[in-house]
Amino acid sequence: MLTVEELKQRACETIDKQKKEIVEVSKQILSHPEAGFRETKTAALVAQKFQELGIAHESGLALTGLKGRIPGGAGAGPRVAVIGELDSLVVTEHPHADPETGAAHACGHHCQIGMMLGASVGLLTPEVLAQLSGEIVPFAVPAEEFIEVEQRLDLRSQGKLEFMGGKQELIRLGHFDDIDMAMMCHTASDMGDRKFAVGGTSNGHVVKYVRYTGRGAHAGSSPHLGINALNAASFALQAINSTRETHRAEDTVRIHGIMTKGGEAVNAVPSDVRLEWRVRSSTPKVVVENSRVVDRCFKAGALAVGAEVQITTIPGYLPMRHDTRLQDLFLASARDVVGEPATLVMPARRNRGGSTDMGDLSQLMPACHPYTSGATGPGHSKEYVISDYESAVINPAKIMAMVIIDLLADGAKQANAIKATHRPAMTKNAYMKFQREQAEVIDFDGGDGD
Amino acid sequence: MSSTSSQSPLSKEELKRRVSEVIDFRADELVSLAQNILNNPESGFRETKTSRLVSNKFGELGLRSRAGLAMTGVRVDMAGATAGPTLAILGELDSLIVNEHPHADSATGAAHACGHHCQIAMMLGATMGLMQPEVLNSLSGRLAFMAVPAEEYIEIEYRDNLRQDGKIEFLGGKPELVRLGEFDDIDMAMMLHTTSNPDEKKLCISETNNGMLAKRIQFIGRGSHAGGAPHLGINALNAATLAISAIHYNRETFRDEDSIRVHPIITKGGEAVSAVPSDVRMETFVRGRTVEAIMDANVKVDRALKAGAMAVGGQVNIKTIPGYLPLRQNKAMSDVFKANADDLVGEDNVGHTAHRGGSTDMGDISHLMPTIHPYVGGATGLGHGSNYLVEDYGLAVVTAAKALAHTAIDLLADGAARGGSIVSGHRPEMTRPEYLKFMRGLASEETFKGT
Repeated sequence: MLTVEELKQRACETIDKQKKEIVEVSKQILSHPEAGFRETKTAALVAQKFQELGIAHESGLALTGLKGRIPGGAGAGPRVAVIGELDSLVVTEHPHADPETGAAHACGHHCQIGMMLGASVGLLTPEVLAQLSGEIVPFAVPAEEFIEVEQRLDLRSQGKLEFMGGKQELIRLGHFDDIDMAMMCHTASDMGDRKFAVGGTSNGHVVKYVRYTGRGAHAGSSPHLGINALNAASFALQAINSTRETHRAEDTVRIHGIMTKGGEAVNAVPSDVRLEWRVRSSTPKVVVENSRVVDRCFKAGALAVGAEVQITTIPGYLPMRHDTRLQDLFLASARDVVGEPATLVMPARRNRGGSTDMGDLSQLMPACHPYTSGATGPGHSKEYVISDYESAVINPAKIMAMVIIDLLADGAKQANAIKATHRPAMTKNAYMKFQREQAEVIDFDGGDGD
Repeated sequence: MSSTSSQSPLSKEELKRRVSEVIDFRADELVSLAQNILNNPESGFRETKTSRLVSNKFGELGLRSRAGLAMTGVRVDMAGATAGPTLAILGELDSLIVNEHPHADSATGAAHACGHHCQIAMMLGATMGLMQPEVLNSLSGRLAFMAVPAEEYIEIEYRDNLRQDGKIEFLGGKPELVRLGEFDDIDMAMMLHTTSNPDEKKLCISETNNGMLAKRIQFIGRGSHAGGAPHLGINALNAATLAISAIHYNRETFRDEDSIRVHPIITKGGEAVSAVPSDVRMETFVRGRTVEAIMDANVKVDRALKAGAMAVGGQVNIKTIPGYLPLRQNKAMSDVFKANADDLVGEDNVGHTAHRGGSTDMGDISHLMPTIHPYVGGATGLGHGSNYLVEDYGLAVVTAAKALAHTAIDLLADGAARGGSIVSGHRPEMTRPEYLKFMRGLASEETFKGT
């Protein structure tokens, strides 16, 4: 029998030995970025790697997800998911963008797949796996970035998905029903001299797809016959901006979006203007409140010029809730790997402002979503690149392998303890009910009463 | 003298010569009268000193006047030798409010930045000329000389309070005089307005003016400490500024030919900079060339105001107040005026303007009877601006008085042949009851909850 420390050492040695191959997987994914629910090439690569590693798996989950299974050699026990996100963003100007689709890994998800496989490689070390109970579930999940709303609405209307985030959809389909706890690590570019960070939280959000319908007319000869849908939308954005003074600092409200269609020809009064919008905050209650304010502003835009508007509200993500015991395990292993001074503990209220569907999962089971360094440039921008793959892939692969050893060694004593005492914020049924309640379509005719 | 009255009526040319002689003789008196009014500016429905000055002048001329019409109006009537139509010659009593005007009243800010002081003088000059017995005896029909209040549609809150106190019903002088029946016995009306636009030359024929509606608007939000608890407030100033933006977003739908003008001001924009504004008030006009165009723009403005309230989740109270109807001048009367203008200043010095964007309650009168509202030069600067000054009183008062008197002679001499045919050939847009019904129908008040 090896001690837990020895098990960790062996796993890390294996990871170090295969470092080059592991990093190569990440770089390969970087070179063929694919946005959410379209990650076919990336999924095929993961399938191939699973096969090479002898990991049994299912594929095509929530369109592109892959769920592997690595049973421990020491008997039954909890199932721990090691998650890697398959999808890229769309940032056309990114140096590694796909010239056709504009897809680009401007959020480091390609490293997540590498670290998920790296952790698996470490845990597959025969003498390590022999001493683990339960099951390790390397889980490649689609579509964390909540983008391309119009395209995903199409998939929804075709019955291919209900929710538009990968983990949400996997929860709905039951693929997390047999999972007891989940972890992943995300790259970060804003950590200064720290290499690994735990704690903090993320915003919850709802997503809106907004479509203004005006009336087209020749913009030069008969603008008086038109109803300018672009003016309706512009007014709505001005209205939204004027409400910002009502946001409390502690609510970390973020309201932002893009216009995906702003007119068709410069010489015609725009009659079809479309937006994707997002309302975020640290609590679901404030998200819902501001969602209503934003709806009111979009309606006011229609009223301002007498246009029609359809506002489709789509359930978004819930705030991240880190399990403190998982977090402690992460911190301890991170100290071993990068040294204590290079670790950072963010206070629980520290809200990074973004949102992740790991938040949804964290409402249902013990979960942890720490950050690892290695990236530079602002997240989601064309400057976001991985400059240090050791920090971005290898360190988190080792740390996750070590945390799993902590959890599943000794008859999975720690995992069982966490599982037994964890109080989920929601049951799956309550979660499904809450999210489905967010879905709403409002039709408003601002020209009524003419 | 008795031999004179037994002679056949004097020719029009002779009448005009005699009238001009009188006006020229009293030119200094007329100019100093205008300047006296310039130095005592009073805004609409408050023109007590100006009104008294007019009454006194009528009294000095031995004319019996009626005063206090629509609060401050003054009217003198006189009859020609035989029956015929009644022609009104109008002068407007009121000033604007332009604090920075060099002749502004230091207490009230009232200032004649639109030249109305010259109108009173020219109306009195025409009175002096036309009241000569040998002139009057050569005319048929009647003349009514009217000093009328409140042409400038300003101080809406003050006038609305007068309305609520039952002192007036309409917020402009001429609509109010129409309501009171002062135009019931008038068949034709004319007045002459100063202009500073050099393109309009010394005298200018014009055709149309915008009509307008007035609006009083109140945005109601919720006050709160602007630093400590802005999230508990509802910002009525944001509602108002957004509403103004929403109006702008509609401008591209206004047709050139409709000459729409929407130009709000904020009369109350909050109470303390440290509190979220909860009560913000606006006034605006909605102007246009036709009633239909005004009503179309008015729907858009109302919608925009509601959008402002909805944007912040506040309320808006919109009070729509009848304003002035578009001015449409009688072509035949304009032709008569034009011929006299050509004689007085030379054809090259007579201008022509098709449409003006401002509004006047002479527009209302033009819906009831043949009406003209031409222009006389002599002013410089921008109308309603602090630099609007009358530089040439000889033109703006003396020549103007002659132009009015000569036109009156052409209309009422020869048994009022010309005036009679203009009146009988004119089809008014509205009868007085129709006009009153229409105006009253424009008044509305609505509260919209944008929550």
